[in-house]
Amino acid sequence: MFSYTFQWNQALNRLPAMLDGAWVTMQIAVLSMVLGILFAIVLTGCRLSGNRILSGFATTWIEVARNTPALFQIYMAHFGVASFGLYFSPITSLLIGITFNNAGYLAENFRGALKAIPDTQTRAARSLGLTPIKAFGYVILPQMLRISFLPITNQMVWAVLMTSLGVTVGMNTDLYGVTQDLNALTFRTFELFALAAVIFYVIVKLINFGARLLAARLFRY
Amino acid sequence: MKKSVVLGGLMAATCIASAASADMLDDIISSGTLRCAVVLDFPPMGMRDASNNPVGFDVDYCNDLAAALGVKAEIVETAFPERIPALMAGRVDVGVASTSDTLERAKTVGFSIPYYSFENAVVGNEKAGMKTWEDMKGKTVGATAGTYEAIWIEGKIKEWGEGQFRPYQTQADVFLALSQGQIDATVATVEVSEANVKSGNFPGIAIVDKAPMVPDYVALFTMRQEYGLINYLDLFVNQQVRTGRYAELYKKWVGEGVPADLTVKGVSR
Repeated sequence: MFSYTFQWNQALNRLPAMLDGAWVTMQIAVLSMVLGILFAIVLTGCRLSGNRILSGFATTWIEVARNTPALFQIYMAHFGVASFGLYFSPITSLLIGITFNNAGYLAENFRGALKAIPDTQTRAARSLGLTPIKAFGYVILPQMLRISFLPITNQMVWAVLMTSLGVTVGMNTDLYGVTQDLNALTFRTFELFALAAVIFYVIVKLINFGARLLAARLFRY
Repeated sequence: MKKSVVLGGLMAATCIASAASADMLDDIISSGTLRCAVVLDFPPMGMRDASNNPVGFDVDYCNDLAAALGVKAEIVETAFPERIPALMAGRVDVGVASTSDTLERAKTVGFSIPYYSFENAVVGNEKAGMKTWEDMKGKTVGATAGTYEAIWIEGKIKEWGEGQFRPYQTQADVFLALSQGQIDATVATVEVSEANVKSGNFPGIAIVDKAPMVPDYVALFTMRQEYGLINYLDLFVNQQVRTGRYAELYKKWVGEGVPADLTVKGVSR
């Protein structure tokens, strides 16, 4: 049935363009993670604040981010908000969508990490005279980030893979978008997407390797 | 011992493979079904009617082809970028999907002679205030990823060195983005443009100008090595024109007027 001759050089010829795409993918993923972690910390803070409005806001965000498809979130960040007159470029929409998703998942990871830190630590910090904010920032937060380090790398991997959803909002500069463009041009679907898969795999392996090196340096006791 | 098992397995596999890949034309006739890849997001060539059934020029064309072969037609809905994977994975036999027959693509799949030809129009958001196609220079222009017009406008934008190109996955997304003002203009076939402007689903858009490109000839496609089938497709396209069915389908789906000439002056194929 499968009578097709693979012409790998047709895909390898396009490798430079695809590597440029991979670089864009990395940039989006890293930026969305940095922003995602910041927002997740804010969301965690909102949840802990005891203020009903703030924690309601955080809960809504986390619920939507975790329980709807990332594709929906990215699509909404482009076509959805445009119905209200807010125009974002494809790359911005993608970044907003992934950041929103990252923040939701990471906030949930942080909640798990917080559960692993004994209450007594906050109490001890407070009894030393630290304000609630300082107790959180100096005592709890560093431990929370340490415990959730591996889930964070996991989310980073997910962020890289989620960039491939950008094509639905008109991205054509990321790895998947570039591949899709080349596919339209040449119809060498299998070769091009196989190559893209290899590049994705290598990126993810590099992230995992980098995370391990970083963990070894950061978490020496 | 092990070697002989592997060898035997390989031989058996080759036998099965060679028996199964006799000839696609034979396979279609003996299976009794012709599976066509049709894009149903491309009115009036392919779309869905009120009761969600696939209709359109391409759908009728597939039905005609199946009738000629004496088999049942099966419409497999396929998005533009998925036409080739669908063919290669054996999910469809033939693509009746308004596919432009570029030389680059012909290295991968086998094309019949052209069965239709499109002219393209520039459609603008009224707020962008465009008068001619050249006003696209410096603007944000979208098109359906993987189409002839998308490849053309992307090339033009690169040539101009200003402006931005945005490919969307479906024709509907392009017109949604255009109507919302996310993009200033798009290049789409005259047929699609007129249908979408008339439909009223996308307010605030208007046809600006014709796009000055070589007519977009589209062909049926199948596996590149299936000469028997390609030969049949060529004759089928020829017969459609000869019998007046081509003009009939044009009138039914596109409207009054003369359908595009499918011959190129000064050369034969």
